[in-house]
Amino acid sequence: MILVIAEQKNGTLNRASWETIAIAQQMAGGQPVKVAIPGGAVGPVAQELAAAKVAEVVRIEHEALEPYTPDGFTLALSAVIGQLAPQYVLLPHTYQTRDFVPKLAARMGRALVTDCTAFRPEGGALAFARPMFQGKLVAQVVPEGDAPHFVTFQIGAARADAVVKGDAPAAVTTVPVTVARAAIRQQPEAPFQEAKQAVDLSQAERIVAVGRGIKSQENLELARKVAAAFGAELAASRPICDAGWLPMERQIGSSGQTVAPKLYVALGISGAIQHLVGMKGSRTIVAINKDAEAPIFEVADYGIAGDLFEIAPALIAELGK
Amino acid sequence: MTSTVERETLDVDVLIVGGGPAGLSAALKLSQLQKRTGGEPLSIAVLEKARETGAHMMSGAVLDVSALKELVPDFLDRQAPLASEVHEDHIYFLTPGGKLRFPITPAPFRNHGNYIISLNRFVKWLSEQVEAEGIDIFSGFAGREVLYDGDRVIGVRTGDRGIDKHGQPRDNFEPGVDIHAKVTIFADGVRGNLTKELQRRFQLGAGREPQSFAIGIKELWEVPAGRIRPGTVIHTMGYPLNTEEFGGGFVYAMPDNRVFVGFVSGLDYVDPMFDPHVAFQRFKLHPLVRGIIEGGQMIRYGAKALPEGGWNTIPRPYLDGALIVGDAAGFMNSMRLKGIHLAMRSGMLAADAAFEAVNAGDASAARLKRYETLINASPIRKELYPVRNVHQAFGHGFVAGFLYAGIAMVTNGWWFDRMTGHAGQDRIQTIARYYTRRGRQVPEGATQAVKPDRQVTFDKLTNVHYSGTRHDEDQPVHLLVHTEVCESICGPEYNYPCQRFCPANVYEIVTEAVGNRLQINASNCVHCKTCDIMDPYQVITWVPPEGGGGPQYDGM
Repeated sequence: MILVIAEQKNGTLNRASWETIAIAQQMAGGQPVKVAIPGGAVGPVAQELAAAKVAEVVRIEHEALEPYTPDGFTLALSAVIGQLAPQYVLLPHTYQTRDFVPKLAARMGRALVTDCTAFRPEGGALAFARPMFQGKLVAQVVPEGDAPHFVTFQIGAARADAVVKGDAPAAVTTVPVTVARAAIRQQPEAPFQEAKQAVDLSQAERIVAVGRGIKSQENLELARKVAAAFGAELAASRPICDAGWLPMERQIGSSGQTVAPKLYVALGISGAIQHLVGMKGSRTIVAINKDAEAPIFEVADYGIAGDLFEIAPALIAELGK
Repeated sequence: MTSTVERETLDVDVLIVGGGPAGLSAALKLSQLQKRTGGEPLSIAVLEKARETGAHMMSGAVLDVSALKELVPDFLDRQAPLASEVHEDHIYFLTPGGKLRFPITPAPFRNHGNYIISLNRFVKWLSEQVEAEGIDIFSGFAGREVLYDGDRVIGVRTGDRGIDKHGQPRDNFEPGVDIHAKVTIFADGVRGNLTKELQRRFQLGAGREPQSFAIGIKELWEVPAGRIRPGTVIHTMGYPLNTEEFGGGFVYAMPDNRVFVGFVSGLDYVDPMFDPHVAFQRFKLHPLVRGIIEGGQMIRYGAKALPEGGWNTIPRPYLDGALIVGDAAGFMNSMRLKGIHLAMRSGMLAADAAFEAVNAGDASAARLKRYETLINASPIRKELYPVRNVHQAFGHGFVAGFLYAGIAMVTNGWWFDRMTGHAGQDRIQTIARYYTRRGRQVPEGATQAVKPDRQVTFDKLTNVHYSGTRHDEDQPVHLLVHTEVCESICGPEYNYPCQRFCPANVYEIVTEAVGNRLQINASNCVHCKTCDIMDPYQVITWVPPEGGGGPQYDGM
């Protein structure tokens, strides 16, 4: 059996959970897939998850699991995993997972493979692909030792809409857990946000990003119109944000956000590798750049080598029809 | 603001600033001396600006294990990460399309018994040996300023954390810590920011020759199987440099088809349009190198300056309360292209002197002078003195340098007590002098610029990505530049050479309606220090960014 640990916060499901469920379904090959959802009160989220074609959705509910603490999660999950005895435990590689899963795997004395992007059969077992050297090399890791093996998957490793939905909602059960408050050593404080984040580009379905090719701050208005025409969020490559034309939170790339929207339109972005690593997981990439040899065209699904100041107005007009 | 914050103070016996081969060897040696003599244990602290030790370490590197053998005699049992023993040495003189092999390998280039290493891995291992002795290594903390009591060095203040780009404290502000020590050992590397300050304040270079530097640029490649035998060491001279330029290339082959490919350019070039990164690209395109790497993958990139000047350029390495070791002092043999073993040995000798001083309760310069006495009686002098003039001789061109090097080798260096040299970086000429007045055409970009093919050659920005360099973006720019010089003087005279000598695309001239503006992409910085050395007006000062920032030289 494969167990997916889904993630929620204040009753909102982290959409990366769907991606991990999709991977579990692809890995299963006849084995049942179960989804566990830990938290303080997870009824509605569990119902939402039950739409997936899985054997069971398991609610792991306890008041000591809200707010999140690594000790609380480790105690609750090690008990439930011990009880369910899965072959694999899969998790989305979120910040929260990064925080508790090393501890959980160490507590249970089991192998952990993190930040994977794919899997493949390897001599009767499964090998998990793990990028190294910033994605230049990919290691194939086969976990050893007793089951379960813990594997976390990179955000964007699968598509959330690849989840196979069931004909009827899956069964939702509750596994009782006991978590002693006294055993939790962390005292969580209110979530800390360094700056007011007005946008969360990682959640955007469509993004229009501008680069140096836009030439001046005044021309950003054109990019805004393109974004509006697509119903997209506006983002940028580094030089634009360095110049202060757009806030840092809209910067895509290795020193900004990593995104994987359904549609990514790159306007006047040459595609330095620092930018590409932040957006190459996008499903459809459209690039408009006047240099036909720019590296952006190596990752683009659709490319227009031309002047964005001619093409953008035409796009807006066409989309307006 | 800095005057009003309360700082924590930490008192130790010996503080070592810099966790490289020199600093860590000093730490290890101190604990060995302690064990031998017994008594009250010394408190020792090591500061390292990298997030983890070794992450900022980059070198060729072929290691002469002589110092390691003395420091850690069982280094093989302790599994020191030595990638490969050297099996073959080749030296070539390159022409644009061909190569001449030297019939014999001159002694300084013979590497029998030496090992090809990743300095990053080696230093990480060395730091584990140090930590196993119970010594604290504070990684992620840079030494920001020297603390004095009058003219006596009493320690170092670490950099503040959590300062935003406008210099204001953020929510996570943490003031730097004052670390007070009886003896401070400065191991802050080539052109170390603190050693530079000490040299100025105490004129430690008085009566010595000015230091000369070079920049080494290197990539780690994974090449198709069967291209080159592991343990092969190749050094080249000649192309792509001309006879007025100093430097050369190297290829070191390790097991598993991993190969280091690098190029060292003297920072004493005269052509203002010269770009060391371009020279490196040209080197990779030479059939000798291309035949090895083509079809493979570049997986890491890095750059670092190196002190080339040699024996006569080493400053006075002791002062009241402090010693200077390793690259910071210039302990490097540019003839053998080696310095790690000298750095280690200088650290070990400094440990000797510091240990004695602490036990005697006297860390005055008069007592710490023993460090210099120890160096003079050690293999360091034996190795560096005979070749003391070689780099300066190369200042007169390749042929003169080469002849002199030969004579120095044969005669064990009797000729000239001291050949004078100029600080290498002073040799760069203006556009007018190098080009216009000689009727030469000023090139559009850098001299001999290469259009990157993204297979064998790359642009700087792509390369920087493979250095793994990272800095918190919201912090003050750590390259202090008097930008008022840029457009008014430096542009017309030298055509903004910072764009070329920086191997990491930190300096960028942006053309705007109002004119040219220098944009400093500080977060690209790989901490090589070339800009601090090379800018013609000496208006760039490299200071450490917030601790932990910088390259991630895994396997370099």
